[in-house]
Amino acid sequence: MSSSENSRKESDRHNPKSSLISLISRPEIGPIGVMILLFGMLGYFSIPASETTWNPFAGEGFNALGIRNNLRVISQLGIIALGAGLLIIAGEFDLSIGSMIGFAGACMAMTLRWGFSIVLPYISFDGGTHLEFYTLLHIPNVTPTLAIFITLCFTLTFGWVQGFIIVRSGLPSFIVTLGGLFFLRGLTEVSLRSFNHRPDQAKGATTVTEIPDIKNIINLPGYGEMEREAAKYLPETDLISIVKNLPSDVIAKISERLEYTAQRVAEAKTDLLIAKGVKPLEKALENAIASDNEFMIKTIQEKIENFKIDPVIPKSITEVDIARAYIDTIGSARPIADFFGGNILETIFDWLYFPIDWNVNNFGNQFAPGLYSCVMIWVILSLVCYIVLSKTQVGNWIYSTGGNLSAAQANGVPTNKVKISLFMFSAFCATLFATCQVFEVNTSDAAKGNLKELEAIAAAVIGGIVMTGGFGTVLGIIVGAFIFGLAKEAFFYIPGIDGSFYRVFLGFVIIASALLNENIRKRIMGNI
Amino acid sequence: MTVPNSNPLIETKELVKKFGSFTALNGVSLKVYPGEVHALLGDNGAGKSTLIKALSGVHQPTSGKILVEGKETKFNSPRDASEVGIGTVYQDLALNSLTSVTRNFFLGRELKFGNGPFGILKMKKMHNIAIEEMAKIGIKIEDPEQPVGTMSGGQRQTLAIARAIYFGAKVLILDEPTSALGQKQQMEVLKTIKKVQQLGNIAIILITHNEIHARLIADRYTFISLGEVIGSGSSKDLEGDDIRRLMAGGAEVGDLAKELA
Repeated sequence: MSSSENSRKESDRHNPKSSLISLISRPEIGPIGVMILLFGMLGYFSIPASETTWNPFAGEGFNALGIRNNLRVISQLGIIALGAGLLIIAGEFDLSIGSMIGFAGACMAMTLRWGFSIVLPYISFDGGTHLEFYTLLHIPNVTPTLAIFITLCFTLTFGWVQGFIIVRSGLPSFIVTLGGLFFLRGLTEVSLRSFNHRPDQAKGATTVTEIPDIKNIINLPGYGEMEREAAKYLPETDLISIVKNLPSDVIAKISERLEYTAQRVAEAKTDLLIAKGVKPLEKALENAIASDNEFMIKTIQEKIENFKIDPVIPKSITEVDIARAYIDTIGSARPIADFFGGNILETIFDWLYFPIDWNVNNFGNQFAPGLYSCVMIWVILSLVCYIVLSKTQVGNWIYSTGGNLSAAQANGVPTNKVKISLFMFSAFCATLFATCQVFEVNTSDAAKGNLKELEAIAAAVIGGIVMTGGFGTVLGIIVGAFIFGLAKEAFFYIPGIDGSFYRVFLGFVIIASALLNENIRKRIMGNI
Repeated sequence: MTVPNSNPLIETKELVKKFGSFTALNGVSLKVYPGEVHALLGDNGAGKSTLIKALSGVHQPTSGKILVEGKETKFNSPRDASEVGIGTVYQDLALNSLTSVTRNFFLGRELKFGNGPFGILKMKKMHNIAIEEMAKIGIKIEDPEQPVGTMSGGQRQTLAIARAIYFGAKVLILDEPTSALGQKQQMEVLKTIKKVQQLGNIAIILITHNEIHARLIADRYTFISLGEVIGSGSSKDLEGDDIRRLMAGGAEVGDLAKELA
């Protein structure tokens, strides 16, 4: 053996990579590329047809309302994709997420609407044999916190049961959670129908409506708790007396803002009137040019040039307006409902309207009030998941449970507990999704969350999660949710393209990402 | 390298294991000393696997005793065995190819800040320990973040051995460590075993089929056939032909040569 052969070690074959190479060979790089491509598409294609300048932020997809709506879709998907993704990393998957969303939403809405009771059924023989119910406990007015807690008790139990069956029986999670999918959806519909027999609900409907707008209940000084809308339409004398009690600097601030809005609205109205007046003239001009009537062309051109309209006078600000604007600024008296269903970053979006002069709709009003709360919940959940998966002991357990189950067991990892906890976590994510939805829209429907389980799995796969387990990152899941949500929205902003093309596109992306993931996995698995 | 004056680290006395009517082990006695490689040789189905499973707590013996450092011990689970310092490196090595060297090294026994499974990992410290421990038995790892799947078979074996030693193995049971490896990597693993032997305080039980490998590193041999010890001795006492004969379960290779002729 020559010395040169001797000095070469096995470790020399593993070339340390430069930081740039290791950055671009990260598994998330492909999905991030697709995400940037989609951003570009959304920007480019959403430019109005008449515009000739290339400005990606001029499109409708990137105005304030577009950002608000897109981020809502993305973050809702992101929340359940985290649950689905972590479970796939541990080698199992959950098809019951969508039904769990429907179930959790219905459970929460029903407790908010009708209260919560525990009843014992028994057979009564008085006046013929029939079933009677003994009420053990009845809570008529359920607070949002209690509703969330009750719902979590149910959903986490379902998650635990599914996980328990899977780890104890060794059945594939596909079958067990498929059972869960049908079971939960059916249970939701059955319970909604059986509860909807009150005179105030359509019998047999699978929806819950007329839940008060809980997140907008405010504590108006001197009037107690009431809904914001009801407060705004108090008798005008009451409203004026509210203003009288306000400090003068608050009044000055509110009236400055209202004057700005009134000015913007007036300008928008003027523009609208001009457009309305000029449009018929322009049409006539076209006709005149077509018929080559020089005299007509000249007169119409003159008319257009001299077209004038009196600018709309801004609406004057009354004390009632100030009172209503003040009511809008009062914080919610139900912080938990507001946390899940309210808006975030309201100050920033306010600032973007006044004084930045963006975030304005066609009628001169503020366009988007802020981002949906579910964005914040997604961000918090992602951070927690990131820390847990890559920085804690549990993270290592999750990876090893999915990567090599027998190795994990041989090293004392409680793999069954890991799996059951992750089934419960995916149920928890579905509950979060439903909570945000219920408190946003104040209704619930048995069909909510339909097919969401597949969307969540798709987002996870696009983000680089390998279906066989053991491989993937939280950053990947986040990017996957971005891609899925953006594609879903972006195609609707492209004029002249059928919106359903987003499914064609996603189908392609899913298969491409799965191939890519498999390739990366094989490269890492080496010769095993 | 025999250490005649020291006491055996692990000893079995008349170990019997029956599976129903089948006798897998029929009174096996064995002494393994610290700093020694004890080769356990025998044909397929001879009872080697049953013996090491009894020693590592997977099976409970029907009768007979296991003594660890002179004290009689009973194992109800693999955990019990690893707590008294018996580390078993199975053929599949119990490694997760998809994660890094460090994550595998500390799998299930991670170092962390705070209590409970949500404790934050002490990644830096674990990286350093993993590199150090593997260097002690002769493999230098450049990148502790490297996925185990990209390592060679020999490196993986070293990782599994280093892990067992670091977590307090006094008796190291190696189940066919050289099978399914290339020639060069087999040598690498043998070198690793030699290094462990030189540490001096660890008793190694080496299960192998390969007589050449056994001759290269073993200090003492025990031959098992049909659940019984059919021969044992130190490397000085035994000749190559003896080993070959005993490995084949006592049959004369000469007889085989005649039969084949």
